[in-house]
Amino acid sequence: MADKLTQLQDAVDQLANQFVASLYYVHKHHDLKTLGASDKIREEKKDEAAQREPDIEPVSADEFKAGQKELAQDLIMKEQQIELLISVLPGLDNSETDQERMIRQLEDELKVAEEKRREAVKGKEEVLARLEGVIRSVKRP
Amino acid sequence: MDDPQPPNPLAAAFPAPPPFWQSFTPENIERISKLRASQNPSRKEENGLPPRILDLPPELRFLQPPEPPVEGVYRCFGDVFNLKDPLPTLQEMSIQQLYTPPPSPSSHLDRALILKRLAKSLLLNFLELTGIMATNPEQYEEKVQDLRTLFINFHHLLNEYRPHQARESLILMMQDQLEKSRRETEGIREVKERVEGVIEGLGRVKLAEFGNGKLGKGKVEIVEEGKDVWETLEKEFS
Repeated sequence: MADKLTQLQDAVDQLANQFVASLYYVHKHHDLKTLGASDKIREEKKDEAAQREPDIEPVSADEFKAGQKELAQDLIMKEQQIELLISVLPGLDNSETDQERMIRQLEDELKVAEEKRREAVKGKEEVLARLEGVIRSVKRP
Repeated sequence: MDDPQPPNPLAAAFPAPPPFWQSFTPENIERISKLRASQNPSRKEENGLPPRILDLPPELRFLQPPEPPVEGVYRCFGDVFNLKDPLPTLQEMSIQQLYTPPPSPSSHLDRALILKRLAKSLLLNFLELTGIMATNPEQYEEKVQDLRTLFINFHHLLNEYRPHQARESLILMMQDQLEKSRRETEGIREVKERVEGVIEGLGRVKLAEFGNGKLGKGKVEIVEEGKDVWETLEKEFS
């Protein structure tokens, strides 16, 4: 999984894409209306329509409404996701000096721990040698 | 058909190691460590590297790492990168800055607040844009520009935060390592104690048999003793 900042940046980019997708959906699937009584929705001839991708593909009012609603919900979801990601950004309450102090402290602790580990390994090898000596001195029945 | 030109070693699919690896003989390494030890030990470089020795014999020259470059460009997978690549400010990109920059050394809670505000503004501006598109689609451009500015500001603020996150990740990694190292030490210590216990147990078995005067009483007893030892071992390690 990517780090929090990248996740957040990706989420914002997705939001932008959703903006575009929402506008596109509304543009593509809205119903055709007449502005006055004398207007007529132009009927495209069959072969003309087949030649090029139709500009607008109206869907039924219910379906259109549902699509709009879904897109709006997705937008809100993404927004909430973004806000959540913002609030879990790592180290929000640490200042740079805090971090430096912590890194130094950890460095020292690591050195101590490494020293201890080395001692333990040495001790282990000694004991292993002793055990080996004992086992060698024993004859298998 | 022989090629008069030797092939470029850097262009080979599997480049040969650089020629100076031959300088790293045990003798040379010893010589340079002696030379280093003879240098003034108080003059330690800040970055923890051994102090640079200026007049080295030519065969030792490669054992001293060169100074890290301070500026310039480098190539990686055919692309040229700047050694110093600072984040351009919004002013440099001629984008309107929509927030007052948070004072960097203090806490970053302001930053989160600004980010949240920007996120809300994004949504609000999109709502306005849809409104404009519904009533007067010709005037979309201004609103789209606003959205663009908001997005860029958001990304910029996040990119500014990256060094902070990098340090934060470093801290986490160090904590992990510390934890791992301590666990390992603990594990080793435990095993050591168990083995010591085994050895002690073996010692007791032997002593007890010594006490009973079983030793040297023929073959059977020795076999018995051996059995005890193996049983103890098996018990301890099962």
